[in-house]
Amino acid sequence: MGGYGDVQCIDENGIRLDGRTKDEVRPVSIETGVVPVADGSARIRWGLNDCIAAVYGPMEAHPRKIQRQDRAVLDVRYNMAPFSTTDRIRPGFNRRSREISKVTAEALESVVLTELYPRSKIRVEIEIICAEAGTRCAGITAASVALAHAGIPMTDMVVSVASGKVHDIVVCDLNKEEDNYGEADLPMGILPNTGELVFLQMDGDLSPDQFQEAWDYNMEAAKVIHEEMVRALKGGAE
Amino acid sequence: MSIPLVPSLLRAHLAELAAEDKRHDGRDRFEGRDVELEINCLPRAEGSARVRMGDTIVLAGVKFQIMTPYPDRPNEGGLMCSAEVRPVAGRNWEAGPPSAESIELGRVVDRGIRESGCINTEDLCIIPGEKAWQVILDVFAISDDGNLFDAFGLAAIAALRSATVPAERFEVGEDMPLDVSKTPIMCSYHKVGGRFVYDADKREELGGDERIHITLGDDDHVHSLQKGLKGIFTAAEFADIMDEARSRCAELRDLVNEKLEGE
Repeated sequence: MGGYGDVQCIDENGIRLDGRTKDEVRPVSIETGVVPVADGSARIRWGLNDCIAAVYGPMEAHPRKIQRQDRAVLDVRYNMAPFSTTDRIRPGFNRRSREISKVTAEALESVVLTELYPRSKIRVEIEIICAEAGTRCAGITAASVALAHAGIPMTDMVVSVASGKVHDIVVCDLNKEEDNYGEADLPMGILPNTGELVFLQMDGDLSPDQFQEAWDYNMEAAKVIHEEMVRALKGGAE
Repeated sequence: MSIPLVPSLLRAHLAELAAEDKRHDGRDRFEGRDVELEINCLPRAEGSARVRMGDTIVLAGVKFQIMTPYPDRPNEGGLMCSAEVRPVAGRNWEAGPPSAESIELGRVVDRGIRESGCINTEDLCIIPGEKAWQVILDVFAISDDGNLFDAFGLAAIAALRSATVPAERFEVGEDMPLDVSKTPIMCSYHKVGGRFVYDADKREELGGDERIHITLGDDDHVHSLQKGLKGIFTAAEFADIMDEARSRCAELRDLVNEKLEGE
């Protein structure tokens, strides 16, 4: 969190740089079948974020040492395309994307019925084509839709969203400026049917009341996003 | 890329079709799949394109950086072309360092663009010996159903031609269109069932033999050639596909021009 005071992210009327009020979610649209050669795929456009997720499998787990006798392994990769940000990203190994891949895999493993596919592997590929804050959330959400599109059995889909704080005001679904100049970021992965969590991170500074407010914003936002996920899966590719 | 076992049945099937001068999806020998081209589709890139040919989908994005010119060429900027096929694009593409196949893809696309001279690197100089533009062209596969080469080549030149030099963001003058003087286009031919076909899909690539990539610039000048994979071809076969490439490249060049005029 930078905490630069010179960028005014919210005006005196409580309107944010992108025209939203503090409790509004950016526009979200989802389509399926965007990677025709994959077993399942989804694209989420969320504000300026543009994210593609593709699922391959279940397939033979290779090399054999990654096999598990009692369940499938999820092989998840999160990656940002070189042209997805203002400054080009050099392709290759990157600590940030490795960590995001790991927590995303763990979130998805919590809902996928992996025990139905012992000794196999399910590949989940998440590619950020255009980034505007909250790409890990967009990735988890898109991956959930792609898994459902591939017909992989799950107890629920994961809806992920991040709220946070800027100029000491708690705001729902951070945009780029709020992420850069804000004081806190609370991304969560929510199971919309039960309100349970499978993914949680946070950095910054929140009072107990602010934390509760951000938490509640995420829960409300998850409902809105979940509706779009279901619509995309029921309606199929546009 | 891991090479799956090619069932001899697939090869035999493609050979049978070839004997009747047919293809498995009903196309003529030199008929391409429908091409969709979209320009300026990536908001964070200074130039971009999306190409779809059948179920093959690729993106290209142009970014700019400021570089210090090389001491032996103080008046020149640079052009870098990099191609990535990440595992998102198909079940046989693997994670990890770039495979030989994806490096070959990037280098063949790069040669076609670079050798055409469509970018004059002296135009990229800002202050001689101190500051120059480095143009970075990244091509990225979303879905590989064969012939990534041509899709990459088309997306690459369309993205370059749509690019704006972001001088204002770097505080070195006013934004201006990148000057791209030529439109090199690549056409690829695969030997399938003993004869060359244009724009092979994945099945034809898997059940086929050698491939030839031809990049032609304006006025049919040849800018890059590449023969890939095991196989033997005759001078007559080459002359045949070269003739085809001339007319197909011209059609695709018209498509790029048409899209850019529409912008």
